[in-house]
Amino acid sequence: MIELLQISRGGSGGVTGAKILAEAALYEGVESQAIPKYGSERRGAAVEAYVRFDDKPIRIHSPVVEPDIAMVLDTSLIDRLDLSKIKQDGIIIINSKEIPEAFKGTNRKIAYVDATAISLNLGLVAGGFTLVNTTMLGAFAKATGLVSIENIIKGIEHTLNPRIAPKNVEATKKAFEETKVVIV
Amino acid sequence: MVGKTVTLTGNFAAGKAAEMAKPKVIAVYPITPQTDIIEYLSGLVSSGKLDARFITVESEHSALAACAGAAWSGVRTFTATSSQGLLYMGEWVFWSGYGRLPIIMPVVNRCLAPGWSIFVDLQDSMAFRDAGWIQIYTKNNQEVFDTVLQAFKIGESKDISLPVMPCLDGFVLSHTTAKVELPDPEEAYSFVGDYSDPVVEVDVDNPWAYGGLVGPEQFNIARRDLMKAMERAKEKIIKVNKEFEETFGRSYGNGLIEQYGDDDADLTLITMGTMGDEADEAIDQLKQEGYKVNGVRVRTFRPFPVEDIVRIAKKNRKLFVLDRAVSFGHEGPLRIEIEAVLKRHNLDIPISGDIVGLGGESVPFKRIMKIAKEALRS
Repeated sequence: MIELLQISRGGSGGVTGAKILAEAALYEGVESQAIPKYGSERRGAAVEAYVRFDDKPIRIHSPVVEPDIAMVLDTSLIDRLDLSKIKQDGIIIINSKEIPEAFKGTNRKIAYVDATAISLNLGLVAGGFTLVNTTMLGAFAKATGLVSIENIIKGIEHTLNPRIAPKNVEATKKAFEETKVVIV
Repeated sequence: MVGKTVTLTGNFAAGKAAEMAKPKVIAVYPITPQTDIIEYLSGLVSSGKLDARFITVESEHSALAACAGAAWSGVRTFTATSSQGLLYMGEWVFWSGYGRLPIIMPVVNRCLAPGWSIFVDLQDSMAFRDAGWIQIYTKNNQEVFDTVLQAFKIGESKDISLPVMPCLDGFVLSHTTAKVELPDPEEAYSFVGDYSDPVVEVDVDNPWAYGGLVGPEQFNIARRDLMKAMERAKEKIIKVNKEFEETFGRSYGNGLIEQYGDDDADLTLITMGTMGDEADEAIDQLKQEGYKVNGVRVRTFRPFPVEDIVRIAKKNRKLFVLDRAVSFGHEGPLRIEIEAVLKRHNLDIPISGDIVGLGGESVPFKRIMKIAKEALRS
């Protein structure tokens, strides 16, 4: 089983992104589960979501504690990651122009992309929030290879309104191209 | 059309099953975490995709009262609720059960206030143990879909005529997206069948009194009838579980309970809901560490699977019950039932238990493993 912890800000589409990822995994022939962590969080607050992937039915329903993959949708939330909880051979995927100082020398696999810039350029903004959920799914596909970019796109087209899906598809493709994967 | 595999939340799985059963009357009041179920159905009715009367009401009390009225007129009836909403329905929950009105009502389990919380425990539905409703608890989104569909077939059959609560853990299932295999809608409908022969059917040309004043004699006839119907419901649930397997290729134990793991175990974990799924994971991991533990997930809390519990108790060495609700002043409701069964059948088998997961507290399989190891030592 592979487990993902995703941290985003309420309003930026993180919960929908996790659902799209679960749907894309289905096309990949992989069992999946997307759990949004609800609470007193409101728009703008840090929100967690968990996604599990497995080749057999998933029986675990509790939150992900020690993820294989951690993905942070908002640059200002990167310091929320507890590196000690993320598996050493795991992957950290961040929305960032550069590799944060704190990660350097940790011998970690980091994937980074300026998702905010990509989304802003495409006008992916709603209610004052830049929507980076689908953009980061492009980074996820590139960094992990768990789900192909084609299936991510299929998941986006299945889940989102046809009016907004094309821009999101464009964002995910652009992020897939631009994501850099390095060992720091 | 053919069946398809999709990803859905537990709430949408419940909504899809209701859609395929084509209820004629849906009366609802929204409450977290049940809301998606009724939003989905209201969308279907307003867009003309589902031919039903959708009654929006000012409270849960009225929602179930409207369903009861509809059920009395002999039509397929659906609603859903959670927590405080279920409590507010209270009077009509009992009226519907004792009135033998086969309303199908998923309860998205949520704890009761205070403290104000929207997360899962089973305190809400457990409070209606004695209301004359069949209660079926589910472990994943697929079982939510399957159980809601089965509920119509079980509750509406003429020899049962009882309301059914398919129960699903709030958020843990209701808001979690997972794979669900949906049958072809026509095949699903033909499995459920028409509600063509209701026990109660108001006929204006043949006026009758419903819920009128009765003396002790008639009252006791009605209550004993209800007791017998609940007893028959066990066989019906087993039968529907089998038919479901023949039609769709899926089943849940014998319908009343689901067992997991090897027979020759030192400890048997007894659970309900998603904790049962998580316990199966714990059982596999414990096996790898050399511990012999097996599991029983009680699917139907009412009717209670007495015969199955007797059979399991005779075959095993030690029982441990994980309850997600409390009967204050005593123990967890599931443990109380099991201890009563053991006593009545003179089964001298060690039993203990713990109350876990209240108010949405997570019960990961690692914690279940720890609990099991402690139980094995004591």
